[in-house]
Amino acid sequence: MSTQHDPAVITAVLMAAEGAINRALELDPASARDLAGLSGTVLAIECLAPALEIFAVVESEGRLYLASYCEQPCSVRVRGGLSDFLALTTADDPAVTLINSDLEIIGNSAPLVALQTLVTNMQPDWEAPLVEVLGDVAGHQLANLLKQIFRWGQSSSKSLRRQLSEFILEEGRLSPPAAELEHFYQEIDALVLKADRLESRLKRLAQRLDAQTT
Amino acid sequence: MTDKTNTPSGETTDFGFETVDKNQKESLVRGVFDSVASRYDLMNDLMSAGIHRLWKRFTIELSAVRPGQTVLDIAGGTGDLAAKFSRLVGDDGKVILADINDSMLKVGRDRLLDSGAVGNLHMVQCDAQMLPFPDASVDCITIAFGLRNVTDKDRALRSMERILKPGGRLLVLEFSKPTNPMLEKIYDTYSFRILPMMGQLIANDSESYRYLAESIRKHPDQDTLLDMMEDAGLVNCEYHNMTGGIVAVHRGIKA
Repeated sequence: MSTQHDPAVITAVLMAAEGAINRALELDPASARDLAGLSGTVLAIECLAPALEIFAVVESEGRLYLASYCEQPCSVRVRGGLSDFLALTTADDPAVTLINSDLEIIGNSAPLVALQTLVTNMQPDWEAPLVEVLGDVAGHQLANLLKQIFRWGQSSSKSLRRQLSEFILEEGRLSPPAAELEHFYQEIDALVLKADRLESRLKRLAQRLDAQTT
Repeated sequence: MTDKTNTPSGETTDFGFETVDKNQKESLVRGVFDSVASRYDLMNDLMSAGIHRLWKRFTIELSAVRPGQTVLDIAGGTGDLAAKFSRLVGDDGKVILADINDSMLKVGRDRLLDSGAVGNLHMVQCDAQMLPFPDASVDCITIAFGLRNVTDKDRALRSMERILKPGGRLLVLEFSKPTNPMLEKIYDTYSFRILPMMGQLIANDSESYRYLAESIRKHPDQDTLLDMMEDAGLVNCEYHNMTGGIVAVHRGIKA
């Protein structure tokens, strides 16, 4: 027997991700405390294509353990394709994306929402490790610089997305706007309903004609 | 009392690529591990580029050990797995670190004490072929990179099966046969040329590391070990190849 993916490779990726998440939690004690409140929660993430299953186990110390194999009963399981999970990670509002996407949620969604809120509200103090290494003055200056670069990156990314969307929808007319599409779908729905009604009227007329002839 | 290590048994077994008397292997293996014990962890990290930590972590995940359980880590060496199990079983559980080699056990004991893993940890110097524990007394047994050094592997597997509780699981993490021929060639070059050189440079002992490489080649491949576990009475046996089959973790359940 052999597994589809090499467990050592998956474990390496999970260990790296787990290390980064737990380091961020160390720098945000409030989030770590909130996470400790979810101790015992097991979140299963099941990607259907490519087939991959990973588990996130919340430990009592407010740390996360990521595993490729877990026999503990899952509190909640999220199942879907890779594109759905990628869309979730890049979404502005993950909660809305989660509800509207093709992702299937099995089990108690409360811990999932709590985890999602925790991730959204996390504010790690990135200055602390820099100050530890570089000292108060240099560490603070570098942290400020990195914060500014990060904010600029965020606003530039938002602005780029907005401008790209405008170009595709308005200037290039490469894709119809959402409202236009919505209106078009409503018209189709109305047409379908009218066709259904007409069909049933015709059936009734045919039945009446049959009754008169016999 | 007769010293069995000095009395030829008439039966032979492998010691790396050499064939030796069965009663001699134990002392020869002891010699190897006495020599490498002090630098065992450092060499493991260097030889596997740290990947042994990933193999061990996946083994622990497969064990599915729960709080309150009893875990026996055979050939536990420097206590890598025992430290993790100690945390998993909690105060109500028990972890037994067992090794036939007292040098390795001492290094493991000191390391575990230094890391604060105490209370639910016990150390036992014993032979995997004759485990000194009652029948059906252990929930999980792990043996990581130790089975290939055991003289009579079938006997050791039977001994492990005996002490497992019904439903208990045995996990054997061991070097195995690479599944890709190209990888096998690279691995051979590494094992027989680079590994002894590293052993000479770091532990000043190329022979011990040559033995480690040879013993890996003499160890049963994935399917053979699976059959041996089933012959020992374990059920639902399976294995997972890791790093292209260089290492495999086998799991069997006591019926």
